[in-house]
Order: sequence, then C-alpha cells, then structure tokens
Amino acid sequence: MKYCFIILLSLLNIGRVGDDLYTCQNARITIFSSALIEDIKAVSSTGASVFNATTGELGFSVAINSFLFEKSFMQQHFNSDYMESDKYPRAIFRGKILEHIDVSKDGTYTVNAEGTLTVHNVTKPRTIQGTLTVKNGIITMASEFLVKCADHHIDIPQILFYHIAESIKVSVNATFTPYKKQ
Amino acid sequence: MKKLTSLLPLIFATSLLLAQSTDTTRHPTAVDSLFNSMNADNPRQNVAVFSSSRLILSQTTETVKKNNLNFLVLHHFGDFAGSAGGGKTFFGLDDIADVYIGFEYGLTDNLNIDIGRSTIPLTGGLAQLELKYAILHQTSDGSSPLAITVLGETGAQLYNSFPTFGDRIVYFGEAIFARKFSHDFSLQIAPSIVQDNLPIPNAPGNEETFFSLTASTQIKVSKIMSIVVDYAHQFSSYRSAHGYSDPVGLGFQVVTGGHVFTINVTNAKAVSEINYLSNTQSDFSQGQFRLGFTISRMFDFNHKEHYAPKR
Repeated sequence: MKYCFIILLSLLNIGRVGDDLYTCQNARITIFSSALIEDIKAVSSTGASVFNATTGELGFSVAINSFLFEKSFMQQHFNSDYMESDKYPRAIFRGKILEHIDVSKDGTYTVNAEGTLTVHNVTKPRTIQGTLTVKNGIITMASEFLVKCADHHIDIPQILFYHIAESIKVSVNATFTPYKKQ
Repeated sequence: MKKLTSLLPLIFATSLLLAQSTDTTRHPTAVDSLFNSMNADNPRQNVAVFSSSRLILSQTTETVKKNNLNFLVLHHFGDFAGSAGGGKTFFGLDDIADVYIGFEYGLTDNLNIDIGRSTIPLTGGLAQLELKYAILHQTSDGSSPLAITVLGETGAQLYNSFPTFGDRIVYFGEAIFARKFSHDFSLQIAPSIVQDNLPIPNAPGNEETFFSLTASTQIKVSKIMSIVVDYAHQFSSYRSAHGYSDPVGLGFQVVTGGHVFTINVTNAKAVSEINYLSNTQSDFSQGQFRLGFTISRMFDFNHKEHYAPKR
C-alpha cells in the first residue's frame, strides 16, 4: 500500500513536467507616433505569441508588413525605407515573466517580462511591464511601452523630424488559448 | 522499507526533470520550438522598385494604390542657353517649354487610369488618357525577379487646324521592365511604340509609327533623396537623318511622405512621351537644355476602417 502511494506520487510528479502552454495567433499590436505636425498610427491584428504558464516563458512576434496604416504611401515608406521588412520581416520579443502567476486563479496581475526585443535586426535587452488578467480561465495580456527609433538603427531624415516621433509607442493586446499538442 | 528507499531516486529524478524544463538558458524549450514554428512563414511581399510613378521623362513600373489620387504638375522651362536662352530669358526661367497637369487614380492596386494635359506651345496642347497595369511585381523572396507594367495612352491635339479629326489623335504603348538590384539601385528598360496619325512634326518622309527604347535608373543617396536618370532613343530613320536628339534627363528626387519633388535638367522640351519622342530637336551641346521640376501630391481616399478594422 505504501509503495502504491509512492509510485502514484512519482507519476503525479511526471505529469507536471508537461508544460502549461498557451498560444495566441491574433494579438493586436498598435504602433503610434506623435510628432509636431501629425500623428501616425498603424495596427496589426496578426501578432503571434506563446506563453508557458509553468515557467513564465513568453514570446511575441509580428510581421512588419502586416501593419496597416491610414495612408498607403505611409505603409510603403514604413516597409521599404524605415523597417526594411523585405530583409527583416519580423519584430520579436523573447523573454520570461519574472513573477510566478497561478493561472488557475482569476485575477489581474502586474507583471514584468525580462528578455530581448528585436526590431530592424537590432536586439536590445528590455524589461517590459504589463498586465496579465485571468478571467474564467482565459488569459489576456496587455502592455504599452516605448521603442526608440535610434536604439534600433531606424534613421529618420531631418526633413521628417516634425512628422515622425523619436520614440514610437507600442501597445500589445493578446488573448490566449490553451495549446494542445497534435 | 528497503524497497521504499529504492523508489526515492525515482521521485528525485522526476523532480530533476521538472527543474530542467524551467531552465530556459541551456536547452531549447517547448516554447522555443512552438514559437519558431509559428514564425516560420515570413510573408512574401512586393518590392517597391521606384519611389514614385514618374521619374523625369518616363513613367515607372510603380502604380498608384487603390483609391489613391496622385496630382501631378510637371514643368519644363525654356532653353538655358543657345539662341533662345541666355540672359534675355533669365536662362530660360522666363520662358515655358511645356507644362503638364495631370491626375493618376488607382482603380485597383494594379490598374491606374491617368488623365492629363500638356500645353506645349508650338504644337498645341495635348490632352491624354492613359491606362496603366502592373502585370508582375518583384517579390522579396526572389520568386519574381522583375516588375513588369504595361501602359497605353491616347492623346488628342486640341488646337491648330488638321485635315480630319482622326489626324489629331496619337497613340502610345509601352512595356516597362524594372528591377531593384539593391537597396540603393533600381533600373528599368522600356520598349515603346508611338503612332501619330499625322506625323509630328508633319514633314515629308516622317514616320507615323516608330519604336523607341528607354532606360531609366534611380540611385538612392539617402532614405528620401535619389538621383534619377532618363534616356530614350527613337528608332526612326527620319529623326536620325534630320539631326533629332535623344531625350536625356538628369534629376534629383526628394520623397517626403505624400509629396514627391523632382528637379531636373533635360534637353526635351515636352513632358508627354508622345511629344518628346516625336519631336526633340534641342541639343545639349548647343545649350538647349532646360531646368524642369515635378511636384506630385498623393491623396488617399481609403478611410480609417481600412487600417483599424476592429475598432
């Protein structure tokens, strides 16, 4: 009887090795530039994300050419002149949420994700604050942070300084679903 | 009790496994592999070969996007030097060789309808209608190395007297082949045909129909500034026998968002392909070149729901 208990305990332990994975394929990512002459906004609704609730590991990725702008010539310049999306097609964050969040309990938590942000092929270490919400078992994440163009070697011509901000506000909204292995 | 202790390593081992899976720095984790598989497909995209739909004399493979309207003013001043230029016309600035005012509208991303009118003073104004269609785009993954655009124009010479109405009409057809070789360098080659119902100029022996070949390039010197060069040669025995020139243009282009400005020097008086291919007699070596400029402004009539679909 004792042995049975111990074997059962071991098996339970093994069961926990399988990670608690969540994915999101339609994260909404907005970039916003506020300069003297104009505000420019662009939206992508096809950001991809993976979250491991056991370890806190987190990845976000968005295709640069999936951003839609109000004016199509802005979209063209954004892709070909500034982000060079034919060479560097994606912006990526890879990291880990520092706080351990029990996703089986409903609640809203302020979290910090430490990792690296790669934009325009330049990788920078970043710690990004956001909120993680669990409601009826559904995990959502939201965050807002600034990306400085110069940090990622995105040069803005002097003549356009009044049109494009030096720091771009990025906001991310993602709703996750549990990942099932095929 | 002995058996119990022999089972303890099993618990220990499984705990180790658990610990290992939380170690992100050493081994690729489940998140890594899943994340990489989600990012595997990098979307193919069309390369914008040129920054604008027009260089100095020729049009490019670029089209105006759907529901966008491009307003254009192209201006060529008078001869810089030579018999018609020099100080008495302030090096051509007091004189007008040609002014073209036109609109380009995107019916779809690939099909444009363009209308315009040039006021070339000697031959009378030319009103023209054009359809331009992008058949093939150069793609970022190399699956299509070239961009190909075709265009057809009909022009009507509105002033002066002509024997019949049909003699006022001219046609122009062109196929443009372009490639962006590197981030800074784009090149295009465009064979074209001009059909003048009454030869321009109307002289005995002048052909009504002739072929031309145009080569144009854009060399970027910064994100928004480029050097553009245009050259055309007409395969016309009348024109080579009577000392006509090949139209050449050298310009400097600045693209600031919705505006494109080009300042250029060219020997061609006319702006429209029909006119400058038919009748360029000014010679660079005689000082018969001129300053010119292009101003274009893009208006986008796509409304905000287009870029913020879920708001």
